[in-house]
Amino acid sequence: MRSFLLVALILFSFTCSYGQNRFTISGTVSDEASGETLIGATVKLDGQVVTGITTNSYGFYSINIPSGTYKISVSFIGYKTLIQSIKIDKSGKFNFSLVGDNELTEVVISSTKGDENVSNPQMGLQKVNVREISNVPVLLGERDVLKTLQLLPGIKSAGEGNSGFYVRGGSTDQNLILLDEAPVYNASHLLGFFSTFNSDAIKDLSVYKGGMPAQYGGRLSSVLDIRMNEGNRKNYEMEGGIGLISSRLKIEGPLVKDKGSFMISARRTYLDAFLALSPDSAINGNTLFFYDLNAKANYQLDDKNTFYLSGYFGRDKLGISKSFGFNWGNSTLTMRWNHLYGDRLFSNTSLIYSNYNYVIQNNNDVNNFEVNSSIRDFNIKQDYEFSISNINNLKFGVNAIHHTISPGKLTSRGNSSVNQITNENRQGLELAGYISDEWAISDKFNMVTGLRLSSFSLLGPGTFKTYDLDGIATDTLLYGKGKVIQTYLYLEPRFSLSYQLGSIGSLKAAYTRNIQNIHLMSNSTTTSPTDLYILNSNNVKPEIADQVAGGYFRNFFDNTYEFSVELYYKWLQNQIEYRTGTDLRGNSNVEADLLYGKGRAYGIEFFLKKRFGRFNGWIGYTLSKTERQFDQLNGASWFYAKQDRTHDLSLVGIFKASTRWSFSSVFVYNTGNAVTYPSGKYQINGRTAFYYTEKNGYRTPAYHRLDFAATLEGKPGKKLQSSWSFGVYNVYNRQNAFAINFKDDPDDATKTQVVRTTLFGIIPSVTWNFKF
Amino acid sequence: MKSTIVKLIVTAAVIVTSLSSCEKVIDLELNKSEPVIVVYGEINDQTENQYVRISRTYSFTEPNKFNEVTGARVIVTSQAGSVINYSEITPGVYQSSKFRGRTGVQYTLDVTVDGKKYSAVSTMPEKVFLDSLNFRDVSFFGNNSTYLIANFLDPLGIQNQYRYVLSIKSKVVEDLVSEDRFNDGNVVANTIYYKLNDLERGDAIELDLQCIDRNVYKYYYAFGQNLGEGGPPVAPANPPSNISNGALGIFSVHTSSKRIAKVM
Repeated sequence: MRSFLLVALILFSFTCSYGQNRFTISGTVSDEASGETLIGATVKLDGQVVTGITTNSYGFYSINIPSGTYKISVSFIGYKTLIQSIKIDKSGKFNFSLVGDNELTEVVISSTKGDENVSNPQMGLQKVNVREISNVPVLLGERDVLKTLQLLPGIKSAGEGNSGFYVRGGSTDQNLILLDEAPVYNASHLLGFFSTFNSDAIKDLSVYKGGMPAQYGGRLSSVLDIRMNEGNRKNYEMEGGIGLISSRLKIEGPLVKDKGSFMISARRTYLDAFLALSPDSAINGNTLFFYDLNAKANYQLDDKNTFYLSGYFGRDKLGISKSFGFNWGNSTLTMRWNHLYGDRLFSNTSLIYSNYNYVIQNNNDVNNFEVNSSIRDFNIKQDYEFSISNINNLKFGVNAIHHTISPGKLTSRGNSSVNQITNENRQGLELAGYISDEWAISDKFNMVTGLRLSSFSLLGPGTFKTYDLDGIATDTLLYGKGKVIQTYLYLEPRFSLSYQLGSIGSLKAAYTRNIQNIHLMSNSTTTSPTDLYILNSNNVKPEIADQVAGGYFRNFFDNTYEFSVELYYKWLQNQIEYRTGTDLRGNSNVEADLLYGKGRAYGIEFFLKKRFGRFNGWIGYTLSKTERQFDQLNGASWFYAKQDRTHDLSLVGIFKASTRWSFSSVFVYNTGNAVTYPSGKYQINGRTAFYYTEKNGYRTPAYHRLDFAATLEGKPGKKLQSSWSFGVYNVYNRQNAFAINFKDDPDDATKTQVVRTTLFGIIPSVTWNFKF
Repeated sequence: MKSTIVKLIVTAAVIVTSLSSCEKVIDLELNKSEPVIVVYGEINDQTENQYVRISRTYSFTEPNKFNEVTGARVIVTSQAGSVINYSEITPGVYQSSKFRGRTGVQYTLDVTVDGKKYSAVSTMPEKVFLDSLNFRDVSFFGNNSTYLIANFLDPLGIQNQYRYVLSIKSKVVEDLVSEDRFNDGNVVANTIYYKLNDLERGDAIELDLQCIDRNVYKYYYAFGQNLGEGGPPVAPANPPSNISNGALGIFSVHTSSKRIAKVM
């Protein structure tokens, strides 16, 4: 911490010494109508020198430039560009408000400004404009940012009925999912049919597939940075929607006019309401629903200080009459303080709490018990942004996260043959510091250099066993409270470079190292709310990924078309697999069943997007390979990871037919999953058993699907604005394989059959949305 | 339980959309593999003929059968050094003279086929008696099903593994394992999740409660996981066999406590 301040001071004095006749302008960019700050808006100065910068996560910008007269332009997607002339002869505050463009024609996925995708050295970044994703058809009409993300190249769905996603060959737990900076440990509802992110509450979403800036760390494959809406600072507003299986409502408004605002957004599904319609008491007594609550408030004390408080609370509940109950959910709380030191050093302090837990209750005549499990984080972050000059921007900061994992507590109640069992808690401390500099070396060269130093310490109390290669405990040690069992320390260099080819094209290259200290235990083919996280330990080493990427970016026809091709290669170390027959349920010796190996992933991603016009959309295609090698699996040969997909194609088209009607369609195609099928069979005690040879040596049939959606906007000009959304999922009723099982033919015991299970055939949906 | 939850959610989604998740038998092209030796040997604590069955894997498309291996040499050696020779009574089935396994004693099985030797060891655990059987009705989404419950007392302070072999009218219909991780030392009432709905009066249901050693338990647990028992589906793999030299199968020395229930 102290050394960072020292660096900052040195830079201060350095810049001050050559900074005669240089001034700093700073301020925020916000929406004229709601006062909501805009993330990633571009502020461009055109004068003796040309310079541009984008607003940060709090809508703040700061530029240090020589004195002079400039033409300043402030732009943001979906807003009219503001242009004015300013004379800069002293430092000062300039806040800008942009007017929303009603003729909103920009497509959903966008790179904030006209040629930002080309000029920014950042690679592997994609942003989702949440305001517009209602146009993209989804299952059961429930807008879902995570599902829309999976239509981008390099980001692949983990399968139907699964919110998990794979980024550039990474597994689902290698994505860092942040909601207002708080990690979300289980981003899915209803076992993955929906994500935990209610689109109503989300303002901005960025996903980094590679070249992660140094302020992010802790996961190997991607960073999904989601920011919640802050609420309208000027007027009270209410909007919502009534759908087939869920309804939602959002209220926002000023706390103190132009000084502070709040936003509360809630959503609940009512699958069980349909169950209640059944006259059968065995059906109508069941519960099955989830709810979400997002809330955020902010207050701007003065020009230098703003406070934010935001939280998320969501829960899934499932009950089979009174005999079985299962509920799980996340809660997060983020407290933030933005402070401006002088006019060039922006500071943000965050206190973050994050919790995920599940409870299973079993109440029947034979067994009464309850299982509790949780993961809880306390997290403190201090980030600084310092504008050294118009061509040099510095970010640095520190972060400490304390994890507590309660793997499982079994409580028996009343009549039960189950014992009270508590698996030991595990605690760990992650410490990190980073520094990152964005430097426009020349008109052509841009460079981001970053370095992150991260450490992880496993803390007592507890009993810690050491396992050999066969999973046999060789040593058992007892540690007291706060004692350090093991510490890992790593340097993570981050480097990106871009070279401008004229004004419409660029070449980029990046190298990134990421370290992961927390690992999701899941040996099943689907995600489950009971999947458990473990920390690094004396047995489990941090996962390491080194990624190099290169790309060509080019825009056509006055930035109407955007094209990019990116190549990546990733080396992965200390990857985790499981011994055959691993039982993860309440297993306090889970580390005995783990195997460690390496991985490699490489591929090429193509992306072509039409950004404007009545018809817009994009094509994303990825050709890739993801493999793993473990000494104790598959005869030590390389095998396809389950996230391997050779081909992955997404087509998205949106057509605005009239002022009231718009139509959209999505087509996806991907190679089937790498799976293990039998290559022979035999009998054990009269039962048919299958003989497996190569691991993941087969493929499920290719997955493809076409969806349609139509939106009818209400007549404009009324106080109550409403719209209807109609959707059809899987239009041609493709029978995609959810599972392929092998079993004896129930009608002829001498035969074995292959059975394909399909989850979703053609599914229509309708939602009514309103706003006033 | 988890698979039940998935089913519940899918069922609810189905009710909402009035469409069903659907199952269909499909054709798949599967690779051919070199046949591999499969050994299935058991020794229980009853004074009986004990059996070892030896077969080979065969192609997935062939009819189900016991693909016997004849002419093998089969010997069991006890820890104390006594040697029991097995003789082939029908093709692939090797029988010992009558003897019983003893608790705490380790037995070694040696099978020689075409000059190649396959060996395994297993130790008979302490015996636990099956006290009684009873039935339980469970309602799941309006469907009532009857299940069998096995009642027994788990010995305190030792790690026990159980195997339940359920036979109806002398045919094995269910073969499951459990351990005492969560109920050590308790009176245990374990539900055998096999639907007993289509039974008629007079049908005999037999449950064999076996105490098995740790390796045998791991084998059967993995076997069940491949079939989707006891949790979400895992990527399947050959269960970890206790037989050497790349053979499939299991050699289990276990106690046996049987009870029969008759449908009235």
